[in-house]
Amino acid sequence: MRETVISQATIANPKSHYGNAPASTRHFITQRVTGGFNVLFLGLLLYVVVALAGQDRSDMVALLGNAFVGLPLAALICIAAVHMRNGMRDVFEDYFAGRMYSLAMMLNTLFCLIVALAAAGALVKLVFWG
Amino acid sequence: MAELTLRKADQPQKGKTWPKPEGATRLREFHIYRYDPDKADNPRIDTYFVDLDNCGPMILDALLYIKNRIDPTLTLRRSCREGICGSCSMNINGLNTLACTKGMDDSSGAIKIYPLPHMPVVKDLVPDLTTFYAQHRAIEPWLKTTSPTPDKEWTQSIEDRAKLDGLYECILCACCSTSCPSYWWNGEKYLGPAALLQAYRWLIDSRDETTSERLDNLEDPFKLYRCHTIMNCAKVCPKGLNPAKAIAQIKKMMVERKAA
Repeated sequence: MRETVISQATIANPKSHYGNAPASTRHFITQRVTGGFNVLFLGLLLYVVVALAGQDRSDMVALLGNAFVGLPLAALICIAAVHMRNGMRDVFEDYFAGRMYSLAMMLNTLFCLIVALAAAGALVKLVFWG
Repeated sequence: MAELTLRKADQPQKGKTWPKPEGATRLREFHIYRYDPDKADNPRIDTYFVDLDNCGPMILDALLYIKNRIDPTLTLRRSCREGICGSCSMNINGLNTLACTKGMDDSSGAIKIYPLPHMPVVKDLVPDLTTFYAQHRAIEPWLKTTSPTPDKEWTQSIEDRAKLDGLYECILCACCSTSCPSYWWNGEKYLGPAALLQAYRWLIDSRDETTSERLDNLEDPFKLYRCHTIMNCAKVCPKGLNPAKAIAQIKKMMVERKAA
């Protein structure tokens, strides 16, 4: 069942808005741009996965510690986290409203931040400090 | 928050099975959603049998056969019976379409008929389209200009006129909007495929001079960006139109405007 608090006059009014108008297009652009970067970086990710198949930890440290592999991978994770947050925002906007939406978005942001910081931090550490 | 299941009071029950027409040799079975808001009963699914030898080939013919010969209380909208008015849109065998252009021989077995999904039901197969029409009103589906009105008429080139093909043909049957899951969950805030198709029709009309204002009005996380390219709208449109493509074009115009 849908919310039924919006009057017909509001629905029929061309000027009615139900969210942040400029942010909506910005999110749309961000989602496409980060999606494009994800596709671009996919080759690198596949290379890392294939190169590390069956290898031990020292090989992994050597490969990811290479600045040309580790730093782009860290960038990919940050971009993917932004993409992930935006994607979940779309889902939450579909199904939640009001305080439930705010709570879901807060948890979403927190989760994406933790994923990005932990993964990118680990890669940066490998690159600069081994 | 979205509710994903029907309330108990809204769940359809097994209804009455009406007697088969006497002497009929070629019968077709119909399961039809029945709901009367004046009664406290749950909706029910009634079973009817149509004599194919005394009935036209379309689903609408069968519905009128039922209404005229079996059960006059069956309620439905219909008018032109040739796919122009959009009145007889309903859910037939799981697909939103027009009863007047859907043939009975398009499917085998019993034919299941429900009102358009996720709309309040006025009675039986008649949905309440008040919100749908309000959304159409919201996109201001008329020519808006700022220049002085010309002496004769607002003209446009043949090429500019051709841009409206695939858009102006919409008959507002609501098949597309009511097949869209995004519209199901946010039916009041999201304008829906039908209204957005019309919005794009006016956005690209070379005679219209309020494109920027129209885009301002559409720019909203709910009014426009609830479209997730699910494409149900294009799949069900009985006129063969593609609202999803029109919505994508509106989004493209939004991005181009931001980049400019």
